[in-house]
Amino acid sequence: MKILIPLKQVPDSTVRVKVAPDGKRIAADGITWSISPYDEYAIEMALERKDSDPSTIVAVVTVGPARSRDALRQALAMGCDEASLVLAEEEVAPLAVARALAKVVQDAKPDLVLCGKQASDDDQGFVGPALAEVLGWAHVSTITKVVVSEGAAELWREVEGGHEVWKATLPALATVHKSEKEPRYPSLPGIMKAKKKEIPERPFASLGIDANAPKLEIVSLEPPPARGGGKILKDGDAKALAERLATSLRDEAKVL
Amino acid sequence: MRTLVVAERKASDLRRVSLEIAAKAKELGDVGVVEIKGERYSPLAYTTALAKKIEADKPDLVLIGATLNGRDLAARVAARLGHAYAADVTAVAVGSGAALVDRPMYAGKVRAKVRVPLPAVVSVRPGALPLKDAGPTPQTEAIDADASAEKLQFVKFAEVASSGKRVSLAEARVVVSGGRGLKGPENWHLVEDLADALGGAVGASRAVTDAGWRPNEEQVGQTGKTVTPDLYVALGISGAIQHLAGMTSSKVIVAVNKDPDADIFKIADYGVVADVFEFVPAFTEAVKKQRASS
Ligand SMILES: Cc1cc2nc3c(=O)[nH]c(=O)nc-3n(C[C@H](O)[C@H](O)[C@H](O)COP(=O)(O)OP(=O)(O)OC[C@H]3O[C@@H](n4cnc5c(N)ncnc54)[C@H](O)[C@@H]3O)c2cc1C
Ligand SMILES: Nc1ncnc2c1ncn2[C@@H]1O[C@H](COP(=O)(O)O)[C@@H](O)[C@H]1O
Repeated sequence: MKILIPLKQVPDSTVRVKVAPDGKRIAADGITWSISPYDEYAIEMALERKDSDPSTIVAVVTVGPARSRDALRQALAMGCDEASLVLAEEEVAPLAVARALAKVVQDAKPDLVLCGKQASDDDQGFVGPALAEVLGWAHVSTITKVVVSEGAAELWREVEGGHEVWKATLPALATVHKSEKEPRYPSLPGIMKAKKKEIPERPFASLGIDANAPKLEIVSLEPPPARGGGKILKDGDAKALAERLATSLRDEAKVL
Repeated sequence: MRTLVVAERKASDLRRVSLEIAAKAKELGDVGVVEIKGERYSPLAYTTALAKKIEADKPDLVLIGATLNGRDLAARVAARLGHAYAADVTAVAVGSGAALVDRPMYAGKVRAKVRVPLPAVVSVRPGALPLKDAGPTPQTEAIDADASAEKLQFVKFAEVASSGKRVSLAEARVVVSGGRGLKGPENWHLVEDLADALGGAVGASRAVTDAGWRPNEEQVGQTGKTVTPDLYVALGISGAIQHLAGMTSSKVIVAVNKDPDADIFKIADYGVVADVFEFVPAFTEAVKKQRASS
């Protein structure tokens, strides 16, 4: 079977995001870029399937600027088989990203498409369901497990108090919340192999899709309010500290 | 300005977030409130029913609670109609042909003010729009989920035996989270007893959910839940940037850690340098005592 993962390159989770002087974007300096964390889980989920059935083909694709090649390369190094880039230096409206990905899906004909639950830059969680909508497919969001059998997939979705289990006939799309194991690190042979792989590229404009779609306009970005200057309680035995804290929470912070 | 509110029920009551968005919609102008009836949420059946309603009523704005199902429905229905979509917003206003919303971006590390062209679908974070007074429960119009659009088959519900009656993390006013400093799942009664004494929910760091000590749904942080309670208590959590992404907007933060240099102390309002195994039982007792005397 073939699994396709649309992924997005985003600032690494360890980056302390700073707002640029114009207040409308984040400062580009000092950013290291990575695969969005939920997309990494999607990759891991697909590779776990490949571990148990080596005939599985795992492909990744991204719609983004040239720098996002590094994210595709990283996915290949983790063990994915194929990667391709839809080059778009300018930001593309999210629904147009979904349309571009739909084109890629129609060409690649995967049995299963796994998106991340949300990309950790815009935090929207839109493109997965939107891609399913453009394709006219069913989707299941925020899954933590997939079990494939004869032309169908059982998709486990984490909800309050447990999992809903849904069965979808293939092809189908799911958005991933978590894989069973932690995303694997690229192995040395994986990195060597990835270096040699071709990453075919096509410009967004060559897809011939309608790029017209609503866009959100950022008016301003702000860092969250600074915190700090809190009180440190440290001297005394546990009981004395506990009583001091309880009193402070009641009388000063007024949360008890 | 016409707003359609999509209400969601938990058991027999409307969810609190549905009341919050209905009250906000009223401030903005005309309001209709719909509720989609079906055995359980599924994207196609619910999207199809809602899209028909939106096409018939032509509201400028559709507000949906940013719950697990609400976010999913909001995204798909926006895609179907080609409307603009903003997820998980924490404030909503309108002006000159657009909704003006606040929303977290970059895994919650930045707050954005965003202009969303109308017509738009917006999902609103539970608890973000404070309810001044509860007021009368809004009248809802029920519409049926469109079963004919369904392509999925529901197999089963696999329950996890744990948390049970405690309040859900996303809506809790108090959250007590445990980290690797708790040493193992057998010590979680310390976290739970304190959460119960405070009337709160139980959370965890990713180190804990990854180790399988606690279910994933309790994870707080960048790849877990974002919580904004009045009181957040971090027990034996170091304060990694990805954990902070999920809880720094809490009103009051208490951290207990035996390492005086732990990063969590940099953002805590009250930092207690102590061993959780000694401090937490004593604190739980102190809270109980105070509750009993007030
Ligand atoms: C892409 C990505 C996404 C991530 N997403 C998340 C996320 O959503 N949520 C999250 O939490 N993490 C997330 N992480 C992981 C994060 O980086 C940290 O590894 C994790 O938060 C550490 O958990 P911890 O604080 O429980 O453990 P540790 O960092 O091991 O800290 C344990 C703390 O307990 C203290 N301690 C030990 N014993 C005691 C004692 N007896 N009494 C008091 N204190 C004690 C120690 O001093 C230490 O500070 C993510 C990481 C990545 C790379
Ligand atoms: N530009 C993109 N290229 C490929 N996949 C994307 C892109 N943007 C979003 N996705 C996919 O859609 C998911 C949700 O993204 P978002 O709607 O931006 O939160 C991501 O986790 C990816 O799987």
